[in-house]
Amino acid sequence: MTNKHTILSALKQSALDQHAMPAMDVVANNDDLVGQFNASLNTVAGTLHSEGGLAALQQAVDELIQQNMQVISLLDGIKGNRQVPETAHDLADIDYAVIPGELGVAENGAIWVNQPSHRVTPFICENLILALAKDNIVANMHQAVKQVALQPGELGLFIAGPSKTADIEQALVVGAHGACSLNVYLY
Amino acid sequence: MTELYTASGSKVHAHKADIFCRDETRVDWHSKALWALREKRDRAAGSLPEWEQLRLLGSQLKLHTLSHLAQYLEQFEQQCLSNGIKVHWASDAQQHNEIVHGILAKHKVKKLVKSKSMLTEECHMNPYLERHGIEVVDTDLGERIIQLANMPPSHIVVPAIHMKKEEVGELFHQQLGTKAGESDPLYLTRAARAHLREKFLTADAAMTGVNMAIADQGAIVVCTNEGNADMGANLPKLQLHSMGIDKVVPDMDSVGVLLRTLARNATGQPITTYSSFYRGPQEGGEMHVIIVDNGRTEMMKDKILAESLKCIRCGGCLNTCPVYRRSGGYSYNYTIPGPIGIAVGAKHDDTNSIPWACTLCGSCTYVCPTMVPLDKIIAHHRRLKAEAKRLPYGKGGYMPLVGRFMANETLMNTSMSAARLALRVLPGSLLKPFSGAWGKYRELPVAPESSFASWYNKNRSR
Ligand code: SF4
Repeated sequence: MTNKHTILSALKQSALDQHAMPAMDVVANNDDLVGQFNASLNTVAGTLHSEGGLAALQQAVDELIQQNMQVISLLDGIKGNRQVPETAHDLADIDYAVIPGELGVAENGAIWVNQPSHRVTPFICENLILALAKDNIVANMHQAVKQVALQPGELGLFIAGPSKTADIEQALVVGAHGACSLNVYLY
Repeated sequence: MTELYTASGSKVHAHKADIFCRDETRVDWHSKALWALREKRDRAAGSLPEWEQLRLLGSQLKLHTLSHLAQYLEQFEQQCLSNGIKVHWASDAQQHNEIVHGILAKHKVKKLVKSKSMLTEECHMNPYLERHGIEVVDTDLGERIIQLANMPPSHIVVPAIHMKKEEVGELFHQQLGTKAGESDPLYLTRAARAHLREKFLTADAAMTGVNMAIADQGAIVVCTNEGNADMGANLPKLQLHSMGIDKVVPDMDSVGVLLRTLARNATGQPITTYSSFYRGPQEGGEMHVIIVDNGRTEMMKDKILAESLKCIRCGGCLNTCPVYRRSGGYSYNYTIPGPIGIAVGAKHDDTNSIPWACTLCGSCTYVCPTMVPLDKIIAHHRRLKAEAKRLPYGKGGYMPLVGRFMANETLMNTSMSAARLALRVLPGSLLKPFSGAWGKYRELPVAPESSFASWYNKNRSR
C-alpha cells in the first residue's frame, strides 16, 4: 500500500460525525470604503496617497530617480530607470518597485497583487509602491476572495503594509526581510 | 529529586516549570509580554461585531473538512498535479524527512532556507538534514535567534519570546559580529536582515510551512509578517512545502474566514503582512508539497481528540493560558507548548504530567478562533491517562481530594465549571500542590462568581 492509501484508509475509521459546510453570510460594513481602507493601511504601517492619481505617482518616481534611486516599474504607464532583469537575483539592489494592485480590502488594508514578473519583486525591493483603483476596494475578506483572480500555475498575494517583526522583546520593527516601506497611490 | 524523572530521563512539567519559576522577575516579564498579546487580540476581536460568528464559521468549516478529509485531500492532490505541483504523502516523521532529503539530494542542494513550520519541528527535520550534510537556515527572525542559540522554539508564533533583548544582542555579537553591548531591537533586526539576505540570495532551495491548502484550487497559502517565506520560495528554483493533513480547506471562501481571525487572534493585527497563494511553481522552477499524517489519523479515531485538528496555530491559547505564561514553553515535553500542545502532545509525553499543566479555566477555548474545545480535550487526556493507569508522580495522592469532582460524570463533562468550583471551595493549600510548580509562587486564578453561582443554584435545587 502506498503512503497515500494508508492515510486515506486510516481516515475511514474517523470518529467524527458528518458536518455540513456552513453558509457564509457575514454582514459587510460598506460605509466609506476609502476611509476604512486608509485607517486600516495606517494600522499596518502603510501610507496612502489619495490625491493626484497616477500623475502624482510618476512625479514621485521621477524625484526618486533624481536622487539616484534604482526604480523598477511593472505598472503600464509608469516609467522607472531599471528593466526587468534576466534573473531574479539581479533585483537585489532595487530601491523602489512599482507594482499594480488589483484589489484593496477596507477591513485590513491588504492589497491583492497578481503574479509579478519575477515573483520575488515585491519582497526583494527595499521599498514597495502599489497603485490601486479607488473603485477596486471591497469591504472585507469574504468579498475579496470571491473577486481575486488566482490563475492556475500562478502566485497571487495579499500585501498589508511593509514587512515587519516583533520577535525581539515584542518591539515592533518595520522592515524585516521584505520591503521596508509601503506607499499606496489611489487613482 | 529522582522521582521527578521518568525512565527515559524526561522531567515532569512541574519540575521544569519550577526551574523557570525560580527567576520571578523573568516569570513576571514573560507573563506580561504574553498578556500584552492577549490584550491586542481582545482589541482586534472586539473591533469586529461579527467576531463570534467568524469563530463559529471557522469551527464549522473545519469540522466539515475534517469529516470529509479523504475527499478533500484527493481533490487537493488532483488540482495540484494539474497546476504542475508535485505531491508526496508521508505517514510519519521519518518518511517526511526521507522524502524531503530525497528531493534535496536529487537537486544537489547544499543550503536550504526555511520559514516557520511547526510540522518540521515536530518531525525533527533540521537535525536529520544536517546529518546528511545540508545546511538549514531558519529565516524567521525569532527562529533564527533560537537556531543560533541552539534552542527549540518556546512559542509557536513568537518562538524567542523567552529571550531578553540583551541576550539576543550578546548572541548576535558572538555569532553575527554586531557591536558588543548593543541590544536595540531595530539595530539587531537590521543586522539579521543583512545576514539573512545573503542566505536568501545563495540558497539552493526553500522550504515553508503551510497555513492553508485549498482543495478546489490546488494552492497553498503561506502567511508571514517578515516576508521570509516569500523571499525564500521565490529566489531558488526549488520550493518545498510541508503540511499536516489537517491544513486542507475546501475553497477560497474558507480561506476568507480564517484569514480574518488568524492574525487578529495571534498578535492583534488585522491580517499578516503577506498572505501568499502559491498555485504552481515559478517559471522554470519546481514546487513540491509533502502531506503528512504523523499521528493525525490516529487522533481522528477519538471524537474528542479529533477536534484539536481544527487548530490553525494562531498561538492565542498560549498567550491567554495562566500556566503557560508562568511556566514557559520549555516545560511541556513537546515541540508545541501551551493548551494546544497538551491537546496534540499529551500522548507523546512519557512523564504523563502535561495534561495536569492546566487549571481547566477554559480561557483557551474561549479565545480559540476555531473553537477547539481545549479544556474538554485536556480533561479527556487526564481521563485517558488515568484509565491507562499512567498518572504522574504526586497526582495519585491528590486525586481523592478532588475525586468527588473528577468522578462525577456531570461535572467531568462540564470540566470548566468543575475547575472553577474546585478553585473556590478547596483550600489553596490543597490545590496548590495539585497545580504544580506554576502555582507555588502565585495565587491561583480567581474563579468567576457567576459560574459558581450557577453551579450552586443548580445543585442546591436538586
Ligand atoms: S487551539 Fe485555537 S487558540 Fe490555540 S493555537 Fe490552535 S487555533 Fe489558536
